[in-house]
Amino acid sequence: MADLRPLLLVEDNPKDLELTLAALAKCQLANEIVVARDGVEALDYVYARGQYGNRAPGDPAVVLLDLKLPKVDGLEVLAAIKGDSQRRHIPVVMLTSSREERDLVQSYDLGVNAFVVKPVDFGAFFEAIQDLGMFWAVLNEPAPGRANSSEPWRQRRWQGD
Amino acid sequence: MPRPIPDLDACAREPIRIPGAIQPHGALLVIAEADRRLLQCSDNAAELLGISLAADGAAPPIDALGDPGFAADLDAWLSGSDPFLRSAVTTAARSCEVLGHRTRQGVILEFEPTDGRDRETLDRLYPRLQRFLQTIDGTSDLRVVAYAAACEVRRLTGFNRVLIYRFDAGWNGTVIAEDGDGVLPSYLDLRFPAADIPAQARELYRLNRLRLIPDADYRPAAIRPSVSPIDGAALDLSFATLRSVSPVHLQYMRNMETAASMSISIVIDGQLWGLISCHNRTPRRVSPTVRSACDFVGQFLAQHIGGRERMEEAGHRIALKRIETGLLARLARAGSFQQGLLDNAEAWLSLVDAQGAAVVTPDGAMAAGRTPAGEQIHELVGWLQTQEGGPVFATDSLAERFPAAAAYADTASGLLAISVSRLHASYVVWFRPELVRTVTWGGDPRKPAPSEADPTGRLHPRTSFARWSELVRQKALPWRRAEIDGAADFRNAILEFVLRRAEERAELTDELQRSNKELESFSYSVSHDLRAPFRHIVGYAELLNDHAASLDERGRHYLGSIIEAALAAGRLVDDLLNFSQLNRAALTMTRVDMRKLVAEAQRSLAVDTGNRDVEWQIGALPEAWGDPALLRQALFNLMSNALKYTRGRAPAVIAVSGDEHERENVYVVRDNGIGFDMTYVGKLFGVFQRLHRAEDFEGTGIGLALTKRVIDRHGGWIRAEGEVDRGATFTFGLPKPEGETLRG
Repeated sequence: MADLRPLLLVEDNPKDLELTLAALAKCQLANEIVVARDGVEALDYVYARGQYGNRAPGDPAVVLLDLKLPKVDGLEVLAAIKGDSQRRHIPVVMLTSSREERDLVQSYDLGVNAFVVKPVDFGAFFEAIQDLGMFWAVLNEPAPGRANSSEPWRQRRWQGD
Repeated sequence: MPRPIPDLDACAREPIRIPGAIQPHGALLVIAEADRRLLQCSDNAAELLGISLAADGAAPPIDALGDPGFAADLDAWLSGSDPFLRSAVTTAARSCEVLGHRTRQGVILEFEPTDGRDRETLDRLYPRLQRFLQTIDGTSDLRVVAYAAACEVRRLTGFNRVLIYRFDAGWNGTVIAEDGDGVLPSYLDLRFPAADIPAQARELYRLNRLRLIPDADYRPAAIRPSVSPIDGAALDLSFATLRSVSPVHLQYMRNMETAASMSISIVIDGQLWGLISCHNRTPRRVSPTVRSACDFVGQFLAQHIGGRERMEEAGHRIALKRIETGLLARLARAGSFQQGLLDNAEAWLSLVDAQGAAVVTPDGAMAAGRTPAGEQIHELVGWLQTQEGGPVFATDSLAERFPAAAAYADTASGLLAISVSRLHASYVVWFRPELVRTVTWGGDPRKPAPSEADPTGRLHPRTSFARWSELVRQKALPWRRAEIDGAADFRNAILEFVLRRAEERAELTDELQRSNKELESFSYSVSHDLRAPFRHIVGYAELLNDHAASLDERGRHYLGSIIEAALAAGRLVDDLLNFSQLNRAALTMTRVDMRKLVAEAQRSLAVDTGNRDVEWQIGALPEAWGDPALLRQALFNLMSNALKYTRGRAPAVIAVSGDEHERENVYVVRDNGIGFDMTYVGKLFGVFQRLHRAEDFEGTGIGLALTKRVIDRHGGWIRAEGEVDRGATFTFGLPKPEGETLRG
């Protein structure tokens, strides 16, 4: 059963963003993909405030979170989500640029759900994103007790810089 | 050779300050300072002075003397602060010279009759003293000066023999100069044991410089009453010239066949340096005036010797300081103070005028000059550690303190040691060889056998003063004060030096660590930041590949090349990242199932084998102790290498096996690939070193460097053997954990 809630992609690097979106597009997910360019935007979306004050209610199916972000970095976003009992069930996948960063995130032990080391090999990257996207957006059961909104969400695809 | 045993220790317990009697050639009165009443007197006083003292109601003693001139002198002296009275009195009976001094038991007045014959005045003595001063003024030779003093005192006093007697550190005395008329035997150069002049007598000599015994056969005149009415104690005669001396000393004099003696103390800086000792075969008196002149000669001699010794000492210290300064300057340039000492052995030895020296630290011992053997030095230092008493240790007879040292007395009878570390047993030691020498004693100084008359041997001075030679062994030239002090100074300098070195080294280490860290973080961030652009190139090229249909073949080739190049660059960066991470990451040590790691690597490599004909020969693989992730990487690299360089072999044979040894496990990865030229084996494990052309075999050239680093970090070793076209063998050893068996 497909979960049609949106994916939140948090990525500041435009090229990584474009490539990630291309990979996700290949998955042909039905889910909307919401893009945040820094940690503040990401949290605004999660908490439906600021520019997202009027968004439709509901949590994202998964957050793909880059580690290094302007303003509020990935670890802070992760800490905010996992430290909030109302939000900690949201799956968070950290996108890291190297194994080293992955270790760094692990050391924080903030309850991250998965890691993806962005591979240079686009194929591998593509597969990783696909796996994640499919898993979290399509295969994953929503956390129990959360209302599963059946309202069809508007497809919103990011169109580049 | 036994040490001389003092034979007159009993003498040291005699109460010589309070003999309760005086010598009878004079008389003594003790009067109260306040009212001049008589407190005590010698029992010959009334007769000698021709006055009545015994009966109650007799006139006060001073009045009884009947000499107003003397009474005025006494009044004047008592109202002043001069410690000593010198006066004269003429009574109805005779003329006397009077000496007076205050004690807490009253004022002691000593009367010595004068006769016209020996009446000398300072006026008459003065020209002679001046001549004496002129004689010794021009010379600094101790013997010449001492001899001049002996001659002068003999001329002044007329004694048969005058000796200049010098104490050594052990209070033995040596006669260094003598003037005599031949009546008494010569004692020149003879040595007398410390017990001849016991400690409390020496102390009295120090306080009261002049002592006279005109006739050793005298009958003492008792002090009456026997105890002082002031404090009920016997009268303290420390400063009285008439003080009756110990019967032991009188016996000693008789044994020496001298009837009269006088001694003048040579006191330098408050220390008893020696004596001017005068003897006469027959009884002989010396007037107070002449005694004063002799005392003057003694004091002058003391000044002269003291000045000379101070100058010599200062000169010696300056010379040592100069050596020390030079040595320290050279030490400062040396790698370690040990090496510095060794390289400047001559200065090191001359610093304390030693013939051998060693420096002993936990790292080992280094020696220069004549020293005991290494093993003996270590034992000696072990013993030194048990010795208390400060950081500087000095002895001139080591074997006496440390019997084992007798074995090497010829090189190390003298030892001067400084401890140069507050933490470790580190010492700098100097050695002086045994100085075998003959000492000629004035008689055998060892204890005499108890006699029938004196079964305890007590109060029995030796009777023979015949020359008696002793061979002194296991003794070195004593260390001089300046040398011991110099060693202490040197110790401080070394401690400072070592400390400064340690600080410098710590600073350098810090700096190296800092720069190493900087370098690591630099290489990390460079490779980390490089990774993104390469990722993007590959990514976009792959996306472009989706539109490959619109490209011609050449265009597709270009695109493929871009992707390949970017992938290669990306791998390079990944490898670099791995390599730099490997240097920083802490190892997580655990038991590692090597069979599992090999199987995993095989599975990973299966993708690359494709349809190649590969024969894996997996042998026994004992468990290893290490970081599983790193060992996985190391094994993978070796196996992947083997697979890579067997390309074209059919079958490619890759053997992986291991062996358990006592302290380590050894693993081997062998292939039948293209091998390599052993000439270049040294380059094999270097970063970015490649032995083959890039187009023949892909790879960044970092794999083996990484593998070696992994093994190194485990404390193991790795080596490679190869033959061109015959294959390569990589062997590595991993140490077993201490105190743990892997089969536990």
